Amino acid sequence: MQKRITKAAVIGSGIMGGGIAALLAGAGIKTLLLDIVPFDLSDEEKNDPKARNRIVEKGLQDAINSKPPLFMDKKSDPQLITTGNLEDDIDKLADCDWIVEVVVENVKIKQELFSKVEKVRKKGTIVSSNTSGIPLKDMSGHLSDEFQQHFLGTHFFNPVRYMHLLEIIPGPKTDKAVLDFMADFCEKYLGKGIVWAKDTPNFIGNRIGIQGMGKAMNAMLEHGLSIPEVDAIFGAPMGRPKTAMFKTSDLVGLDTMYHVAKNCYDMCPDDEMRDTMALPEFVGKMVENNMLGNKTKGGFYKKELTEEWKTIRKVINPETMEYGEYGKADFPCLQEAKKKSALSEKVRAIVYGDDKGAKYAWDVTATGLIYAANRIPEISDTIVDIDNAMKWGYNFEMGPFETWDAIGVKESVEKMEKEGRTVPEKIKKFLEAGNETFYKIEGGQRYFYDFDSGAYKPVPVSEKQISLYNLRQENKVVKSSGSCSLIDLGDGVFDIEFHSKMNAVNREMIEFMIDAHEYVSKNGVGVVVGNQASGMPAPFSAGGDLAFMLGLAKEGKFSEIDDFIKTVHQSILASKYAPYPVVAAPFGLALGGGCEVCLSADRVVANADLFMGLVEVGAGLVPGGGGMMHLWQNYIRYKPQVAKITDYSGFFIQAFMHVAQAKVSNSAAEARNSGFLRPADRIVFNKDLLIGEAKKEVLRMVDDCYVPPRKEKFPVFGREAQGMVWSEMLNMKTGGYITPHMETIAKRACYCMAGGDVPQGTQVSEEYLLKLEREAFVDLWRTEETQKMAEHMMNTGKPLFL
Amino acid sequence: MKEAYIVTSLRTPGCRRGKGAFAQTRPEDLLKTVINEVVEQTGLEKQAVEDIMVGCSFPEAEQGLNIGRVISQMCGFPDTTTGATVNRFCSSGLEAIALQAMRIKSGMCDVAIGGGIESMTIVPMGGNLPRPHPQMVKENADVYISMGATAENVANRYNVTREMQDEFAYHSQMKAANAKQKNLYKELVPTPATKWVEDAEGSWAPKTWNQDFDDGIRENTTMEGLGKLRPAFAANGSVTAGNSSQTTDGAAATLIMSEEAVKKYNVKPIARLAYYTVTGVRADEMGVGPAYAIPKLMRETGMKLEDVGIFEVNEAFASQAIYCLQQMGMYDEKSLWTSDSDKRIVNVNGGAIALGHPLGCTGAKLCSQLMTEMQARGVKWGVESMCIGGGMGAAGLFELME
Repeated sequence: MQKRITKAAVIGSGIMGGGIAALLAGAGIKTLLLDIVPFDLSDEEKNDPKARNRIVEKGLQDAINSKPPLFMDKKSDPQLITTGNLEDDIDKLADCDWIVEVVVENVKIKQELFSKVEKVRKKGTIVSSNTSGIPLKDMSGHLSDEFQQHFLGTHFFNPVRYMHLLEIIPGPKTDKAVLDFMADFCEKYLGKGIVWAKDTPNFIGNRIGIQGMGKAMNAMLEHGLSIPEVDAIFGAPMGRPKTAMFKTSDLVGLDTMYHVAKNCYDMCPDDEMRDTMALPEFVGKMVENNMLGNKTKGGFYKKELTEEWKTIRKVINPETMEYGEYGKADFPCLQEAKKKSALSEKVRAIVYGDDKGAKYAWDVTATGLIYAANRIPEISDTIVDIDNAMKWGYNFEMGPFETWDAIGVKESVEKMEKEGRTVPEKIKKFLEAGNETFYKIEGGQRYFYDFDSGAYKPVPVSEKQISLYNLRQENKVVKSSGSCSLIDLGDGVFDIEFHSKMNAVNREMIEFMIDAHEYVSKNGVGVVVGNQASGMPAPFSAGGDLAFMLGLAKEGKFSEIDDFIKTVHQSILASKYAPYPVVAAPFGLALGGGCEVCLSADRVVANADLFMGLVEVGAGLVPGGGGMMHLWQNYIRYKPQVAKITDYSGFFIQAFMHVAQAKVSNSAAEARNSGFLRPADRIVFNKDLLIGEAKKEVLRMVDDCYVPPRKEKFPVFGREAQGMVWSEMLNMKTGGYITPHMETIAKRACYCMAGGDVPQGTQVSEEYLLKLEREAFVDLWRTEETQKMAEHMMNTGKPLFL
Repeated sequence: MKEAYIVTSLRTPGCRRGKGAFAQTRPEDLLKTVINEVVEQTGLEKQAVEDIMVGCSFPEAEQGLNIGRVISQMCGFPDTTTGATVNRFCSSGLEAIALQAMRIKSGMCDVAIGGGIESMTIVPMGGNLPRPHPQMVKENADVYISMGATAENVANRYNVTREMQDEFAYHSQMKAANAKQKNLYKELVPTPATKWVEDAEGSWAPKTWNQDFDDGIRENTTMEGLGKLRPAFAANGSVTAGNSSQTTDGAAATLIMSEEAVKKYNVKPIARLAYYTVTGVRADEMGVGPAYAIPKLMRETGMKLEDVGIFEVNEAFASQAIYCLQQMGMYDEKSLWTSDSDKRIVNVNGGAIALGHPLGCTGAKLCSQLMTEMQARGVKWGVESMCIGGGMGAAGLFELME
């Protein structure tokens, strides 16, 4: 029978259960969310369905209110979720195709729950547990074979929507077909990165992660470092998330972290580094005192508000358990690292330094590398799964083995041995065999070292994925400049890849794109505009190159800015009217110029996590790449099929407000609701599959006999928009809601989007609107206020309202 | 000149925009109920009514196409009963009554209805297609300014504090709560309300009931609660949803007769409309209107404020109502307007902060309330006044008939 998941159930509505339900709903799957009936109901309440669902309702509400949002579309996604309780609604599990258990980590409760589930579950329904530590065999051993064949572990990470990792754990009897189906489903429909884990305590991510955390905390006390010093090292300089060690703990919750560590300690009596998993005493005390991190408004760090409403940040002193203010932590090794550009060099500079911070970093890193090596084959057969788990579940830029490659395996092992550390036999053998790195690239293929066979094997990559990195190694780059490349994706499809800082759109890229289109018009069938930048959130393109334009403005070279915008428009229109399909593949940040590149594409294949918006006003500008025109076209052409003159004010105000308030979507679903994405644009859940899907889209459009859009005149709202917006500006000014220059910018944006002073409904050309846009753009650069605003945005990343 | 007598003056309840009882009831239906009731209570045949004028601030869409004529037909008046729509924004309802009174006073007419309608749910404030003149707004947009902004201007320019506004709002609510509880709104006509409800099968059916109270009154309001509300129109402002009038759906109607008609139909008039006046003020502080209109009314009729026993001063915003009372020397003596005072003569049963301000209806609605209050208290002279968007003030003087 064809397997399909049309309806799912999530049992347990805590932060993880709510997150999984939100993700399923976002993927369009009807979801039943269940939780227990509260224990403390009065006799009267016992018959009140509302009271009986109190826990699950609160869980759902918390998920809806969560920040960052767990739901991609807060309005319509929750409507796919039905709530209920385990006493009255358990029969409803009978129509579910997948039941995921996310209840409290107690083996007995889980066993009893699965016994109940077994009674109502229809044959063939897949059941999984989101346990983070309890062995699957312990919770399912008492169940029927048919149940166990459909039972597995699906371990999501918090926050579910944003963490890419999903550990899939086969149970003792799980059917291979079920595992393959779920891996495919979770990768494609839910967008997760799949790591195969074994049924061992805490699986992969949390096993390696908690050892690292425990070691870092214990070593901090031994080496005499402070909390901010540790975070300064194990943050960005080491390729770790900015929240580093302790801020991450505050984010996750000290109780959760403590529980994971304790679970590991209790269940791994033979672990050679068990001691490192026993968290320091002061952490235990903090948990006892309910100092659990952000959720209790104080963990390792704490924010306090002074009487003058100034925020001061404080950190706990592990010895005195008191909070105190702290300054910026620094070490010579961090200064060295700052001078390097590649991450591998930064990490080398830190772990091989000789100051106090460096010695600490080396101790923690060396211990972690040895620990990871010792876990093969105990928790995983391959280094790839371990590295992926740490990258996708903990947001490390490099997993342990990639880190090891980065600092040099031979060099580091020598240092380890000199210090009397026990280097695993398999590593020694690896080196003795003359190997140097765990990963290598040969003939465009990435290989990893397999300890079991003692040989290199190709890194398994889903066939749906296209890796631009690999294509580069295979010499598929057709053209390249410093910040942009044209890469041959095969089948006549070419990718325009941005690779500037934050992928900001600059002059070089604009000019390159014109050349690239020349090339493709002669040699290809279509273009994908996409890249594979990483980060949280990753930048598809974070905007335009402010520094370049500010430089020109300061020198008074306004005609050059004017020329630049002319070139931008030429490039945008070259893409829009190219005789072949152009598909943009945005993800993460698609702001300003990045958003405009997408708006001018024939189709967008977007990642579900999309933060898209025209944010130029924050830098004192109006959008300069046709963004206002295209957004307006989206409104009048696509939002309803036919917009009439009487509908214009409603559409115009919405479209205009997106620009005037620099609104950014929280997801691709929201971008669609706000008109940035059109009805035919697609949303892809898995970022890794984005380029592949975009390429497929190009080929499909070619197959469907693509013709470019007709260059037609289209109606604008004209002077009537000026009347509406200017009169509203008076209200905003009276209310103190808008500053003078912001008002100027807003009015100018209104002028551009409305097509100036023509009567409403006038049919205008694109050239006319682009000319208005260009004039506004250059005029604003002429003002001192815009120059100040742009400079402030460049230096601080935050808008200055003048 | 002849006299024009108020014979019957009634209103529907005022119900909250969007969430209130009339949100799905067409404005024509509200108006139909109250006009038919006015004729019914007067004991007239419909053909006796010569003309119907309806005040409306946004006479478009459901309220458009000359609702005065539409309603005369909807109510079943004969073809000979004519109708007109009158718009002077917030005084439209009073304007309609005054226009009919003038026609009667000049001998052009004997029996007429003046009223008002506004469903702020169905036709939004500002209308469905706001189109300020593009050149005008660039030169001076004041005439298009939002009412909330004018309220902030009044508060800022004349030092009306947040505390004063909240206190005033609190008393408005308490006065209304008292009147509701004691059933003092004798002019209120229970009015059919309709709401469409989806049943379990997904079918839709209307649910209809008689709405017999103003649903915006907040009996449980406290000063503390009002103090917690955020400013609604300015970043650091003092005007909140709590100390502003409510946006409301409602209708009201008044039947007016000449002396000859009073005799002919043998009815007992409640009062006569003695005078009506309008004055202009700065558009960006339109709320000060009554502070100029009422003195003008007194001046032109040769009366003194002390002669007037009761006032209905529309509470568009507490800030402007307070300022107007201050200018007339009636604010500092709080017993003139507080809910716990027996001596109160201003908005004695609460104002628009509690009962709502259905723009075009308000003038007609306040007339009906004033008639009830003047009769109940035996007050000889009563004044109704309001500020008007665009920068005006209107005031009407009524004399109770013995």
